[in-house]
Amino acid sequence: MSKKNENKVREPLFHIAKRNSMVWWKAWLIRGAAILASLVVCALIIVLLTKQNPLEVYASMFKGSFGTKRKVWILLQNMAILLCISLAVTPAFKMRFWNLGAEGQVLIGGLASAACMFYIGDRLPNLLLILIMFVASVLGGIIWGVIPAYFKAKWNTNESLFTLMMNYIAIQLVSFAIMVWVPSGSSVMGVINSSTSAGWIPDLFGKKYLFNILVVAAVTALMFVYLKYSKHGYELSVVGESENTARYIGINVKKVIIRTMVLSGAVCGLAGFLLVSGTNHTISKTLAGGNGFTAIMVSWLAKFNPILMILTSFLIVFLQRGAGEIATNFRLNESVADILTGVIIFFIIGCEFFINYEIKSTHAKHKEGK
Amino acid sequence: MKKVLALLLAAVLVFSFAACSGSKDTTTTAGADESTSAAPTDVDYSKVKVGLICLHDENSTYDNNFIQALKDTQTKLGLKDDQVLIKTNIPEDDKCLNAAQELADEGCNIIFADSFGHETYMMQAAKEFPEIQFCHATGTHAKTAELKNFHNAFAAIYEGRYLAGIAAGMKLNEMIKDGKIKADEAKIGYVGAFNYAEVVSGLTSFFLGARSVCESATMKVTYTNSWFDIALEREAALSLIKDGCVLISQHADSEGAPKACEEKKVPNVAYNIDTSSMGPNTALISSKINWSPYYELAITAVAKGEEFATDWCGTLATGSVQLTKLNEAVAAEGTQAALDEAIAKLEKGELKVFDTATFTVDGKALESYKADVIPDEKFEKDTEVIKDGVFCESDVDGMRSAPYFDIMYIDGISEK
Amino acid sequence: MNIPGEAVASPDFRFFEKRTNFILSFCFEKNEDTGGMKKLETPAIELKNISKTFGSIKANQHVNLTVKNGEILSLLGENGSGKTTLMNMISGIYFPDEGQIFIDGKEVVIRSPKDAFDHKIGMIHQHFKLVDIFTAAENIVLGLKENGKYSIKQVAARVSEISAKYGFDIDPMKKIYEMSVSEKQTVEIIKVLYRGANILILDEPTAVLTPQETQKLFAVLRRMRDDGKAIVIITHKLHEVLSLSDRVSVLRKGEFIGTVKTSETNEAELTEMMVGKKVSLNIERSEPKNPQDRLIVKHINCKNRDGVKVLDDISFTAKGGEILGIAGIAGSGQRELLEAIAGLQHLDSGEITYNNPKTGITENLRDKTPLQIRELGVRLSFVPEDRLGMGLVGNMDIIDNMMLRSYRKGKSVFLERKQPKSLAEKIINDLEVVTPGATTPVRRLSGGNVQKVLVGREIAAAPTVLMAAYPVRGLDINSSYLIYNLLNEQKKRGVAVIFVGEDLDVLVELCDRIMVIGSGRITGIVDGRSANKNELGLLMTKTHQGGEKDE
Repeated sequence: MSKKNENKVREPLFHIAKRNSMVWWKAWLIRGAAILASLVVCALIIVLLTKQNPLEVYASMFKGSFGTKRKVWILLQNMAILLCISLAVTPAFKMRFWNLGAEGQVLIGGLASAACMFYIGDRLPNLLLILIMFVASVLGGIIWGVIPAYFKAKWNTNESLFTLMMNYIAIQLVSFAIMVWVPSGSSVMGVINSSTSAGWIPDLFGKKYLFNILVVAAVTALMFVYLKYSKHGYELSVVGESENTARYIGINVKKVIIRTMVLSGAVCGLAGFLLVSGTNHTISKTLAGGNGFTAIMVSWLAKFNPILMILTSFLIVFLQRGAGEIATNFRLNESVADILTGVIIFFIIGCEFFINYEIKSTHAKHKEGK
Repeated sequence: MKKVLALLLAAVLVFSFAACSGSKDTTTTAGADESTSAAPTDVDYSKVKVGLICLHDENSTYDNNFIQALKDTQTKLGLKDDQVLIKTNIPEDDKCLNAAQELADEGCNIIFADSFGHETYMMQAAKEFPEIQFCHATGTHAKTAELKNFHNAFAAIYEGRYLAGIAAGMKLNEMIKDGKIKADEAKIGYVGAFNYAEVVSGLTSFFLGARSVCESATMKVTYTNSWFDIALEREAALSLIKDGCVLISQHADSEGAPKACEEKKVPNVAYNIDTSSMGPNTALISSKINWSPYYELAITAVAKGEEFATDWCGTLATGSVQLTKLNEAVAAEGTQAALDEAIAKLEKGELKVFDTATFTVDGKALESYKADVIPDEKFEKDTEVIKDGVFCESDVDGMRSAPYFDIMYIDGISEK
Repeated sequence: MNIPGEAVASPDFRFFEKRTNFILSFCFEKNEDTGGMKKLETPAIELKNISKTFGSIKANQHVNLTVKNGEILSLLGENGSGKTTLMNMISGIYFPDEGQIFIDGKEVVIRSPKDAFDHKIGMIHQHFKLVDIFTAAENIVLGLKENGKYSIKQVAARVSEISAKYGFDIDPMKKIYEMSVSEKQTVEIIKVLYRGANILILDEPTAVLTPQETQKLFAVLRRMRDDGKAIVIITHKLHEVLSLSDRVSVLRKGEFIGTVKTSETNEAELTEMMVGKKVSLNIERSEPKNPQDRLIVKHINCKNRDGVKVLDDISFTAKGGEILGIAGIAGSGQRELLEAIAGLQHLDSGEITYNNPKTGITENLRDKTPLQIRELGVRLSFVPEDRLGMGLVGNMDIIDNMMLRSYRKGKSVFLERKQPKSLAEKIINDLEVVTPGATTPVRRLSGGNVQKVLVGREIAAAPTVLMAAYPVRGLDINSSYLIYNLLNEQKKRGVAVIFVGEDLDVLVELCDRIMVIGSGRITGIVDGRSANKNELGLLMTKTHQGGEKDE
């Protein structure tokens, strides 16, 4: 059979078929290979773009997270916040409610905390103030999460757009609050109660971030149990998998949507509280710093499993910290480091394709037919 | 990471700056040309390690101004790359403290930060590392913080503004002379970022400069409430032009306003960037702060083991205040000569920008004014700033380097 | 195996010529065989020995079919007889496993809809593929690569020309979302004509049309036939077949039964070809013991989202201890009827009541949610048609799927997985579900095992009413019998079983009574013991529109 005619027939060379399942160690082997492949591609990029030694760059990346004790604590703190927000979006995503509003929900939670710090100050005992801040933040997050959920349940509005728009409202509210609180017009809040430390979560055993880390660890465990062992968690899984099935077994879908977004918003609010009270002691428009979106990736990568999310949030934060470290050490713009993390994540997500699908050659079949 | 994700997941949510003008500044140093002189040879710089914390990266004109100046200083002082560590994209929160701590751990003995919101975190770091010098630009606390190793720095940019104002006033005069506008139509438009002392001080000095040559000049101000927003700045400029403003200046960091001016053929005076490439027919001049003299001073002091000012204000004389090259195609005849004369007078101290004899507030001369010089949580107006008939702006001897002229407004200026 | 495309692919032209001659002579013979025409006439399409399987299901087995230019061929068959699959292979959506396709006497390989267009074949699908916010003309040229400048005016002019030629009534500049269903269909037809199609395939074109619109469509089709086009119309409405087509080809369970001239046949003969001879299945059927009225449905009506009536004055009674079969062409309202009973479908009028055998109380079920129905103590089990989309959650394991019905039990906020686990194991054991374990996601199971899990769970709830929609669809023989036995067991326990089926042989042997519905109306309720397939087939294809019943 001549080549020319083969073209004419336009027989596809291969086709893609879904795999039934794969042995777990094989899947991890593929993932490991993907990471290795990504490192090779990154090395190429490093050599071509920056003429640096890739091994040195990787070593520097590693140092960015583990170089000193302090770096490890910073890594854990950043992980805690990202993990907390990831846990927050997980129930919503598991329910197939595309909550892109974590950024705004965190911001509103933080704003509520900052407002309590600003207005109450040291007029109440610190513990009570912190408690009030906690409640206010969680309520703020809930309100910001429930509004789009209510509209979705009632009028079937598009939650992706709605939650995204709510982010902008939150940002403007924060801007407005800072303008009111800082009459000098500098648009910078600065550390609140820097003299009294009112509303600051005290250091635990002399470690500044330990409180945040412990709280998020607890939330992780609770979320795992909630999703896996509670009736609520079961219901939201059913709603997410198939609304028809949910209706069929008599689940009130609207109620589940609203209830789940209460939870999602509440945990986002908690993240806002931890950021303001436990870490920054200030409020700014960039409080969430894009973590509301990064969290979506963390959650998806872990297939909505809170325990696996510890791993994926570590991966993302590790790459972020590494990126910053390379930028400083090699005088590269952080964009170069971002390209590298982009490549690595691309490979990690991309390899899932090979875990879920297999590529079969149709050519073999064709020959058989002859 | 953040940017990649923002693009990936919701391209609309961009929290970062876009790149702007890539043109290289063509600056003429107005004062004594110190920055190009050779480095002191008797100082051993091998033990210094410098850190810089930036809010954004080179893509922001504001941060680029800091980064380039530090790189110039590095070359001049002969520092190696591993003696100068630059951390970019550090937000104004706990991450700034982390960055400072990490730089300290790396062995830096002097650390700079460029954004106003970094200050409180830099102070925390200064307390934690008393042997390391922390220098914060645009900050307000050093004077009163009682921390020997915490420093503020700024420049008497109001002088640069005043000079740019003279160029603007001359242009207005030319327009009146050419019959393009009547004398009472000499209205300047000003696009400000926030109604913050730094901006108010700048716009007032600019206006005073313009009025020193064009008596009929008035000014209209509008704010964008953002340090960088191309679209908003453009809209603000266009609406000012529509309102009859015949010359525009701005204190915001994008090319929105200059480009709008070029489009509408309205002369423009810029800040911190040379806009002559994006507005060849309208860009007049711009004033900018050169941070190199301060870097050199601070780093040299650390290398020598000497103390240096906790609050420092650069001037024309130190080379910190600069004007970009006057665009002769746009400028009125004789502008350069007028500028040279004013520079000489300013340097000699014969001319004071905020001379209370040259302006009135609510129709009255300003005899006494209390400004919020000492930072506190209540924003109290605490210090008398008028001395010998002059509003003493950025006076590091009595007050502080960061601007505190926040009178809104002197007569002749109004808000849109 | 004969690979299509080999003839085309051969570089040897002489060989190709020989081959063509062979084909031509074959056609000649074929025509002679059917005793039709003496003179050699090349058919527009000829299918030879076409087979297609999906997994274990044989959708088409060795089908031969010819369509001539200037004729309308009806492709007749029950649901799942493989009509649409066959046509999809001509229009490039599927690729046959074996067999040959000849267009105008030449063997061709059709791998994509574009290939089909290149051979001037156009298919009008049951579900329209139009962009709502575009105009008719824009939709018609969408995706078409034409030489020269794009001018919507020229397109509109050509559309009008085509419309005038065949008597369509269409405004080229009208937007799709402003159009009625029949106008949309017209756009689809013009779309293929615009691309120069000589062979038109219409998949159940009258299903969505009113009688008047149907008459209009038929007039257009006849004009196209007179213009020399070859037309294939897929349908199961006998009266339409008889009034429109020149010849009828019948498929049954994927097999080609035969082709007859319309003028030489009648409804009875066609029905017999369609449903086939009675096949004895030896399904056990016990006498109903002490049947009691359990579920009473009176005059229920409902419309779908498009405002089309899907249930039209349905009344019947399901009795405890008997199996009530529901027969009908797919989409005649079976799904809506079962969902209405289960509390998932809003009704416009009518009532549904339930006699509780324990308390003797009569409960009203209309407009109640599934949860409310359960709270009334009504033990209603429902095996829906869409197993993984409604009855089960594909991504959950068998245990979690067991919990769907029972997870609410108890006051704890946590799930109780012990009982569901033992139930899952019991079902796997009793019903011989082939699975690696109880923790395997059900989507990984084969169709038959999925159905066993679903039926097993529904029966485990000890129902008093059990509704099952197409419970043996896609199942192998053994699994099917297992399901029949389970249904019979329930019947013996006094459960009112409602069985929606498509295989008439099964309905006739399994059910005590069979209710036939067509277009949302009951066309007859017959005794299962005395009913025969032809009778059911006729009832199924009967429509209550105008005077057509008498045709």
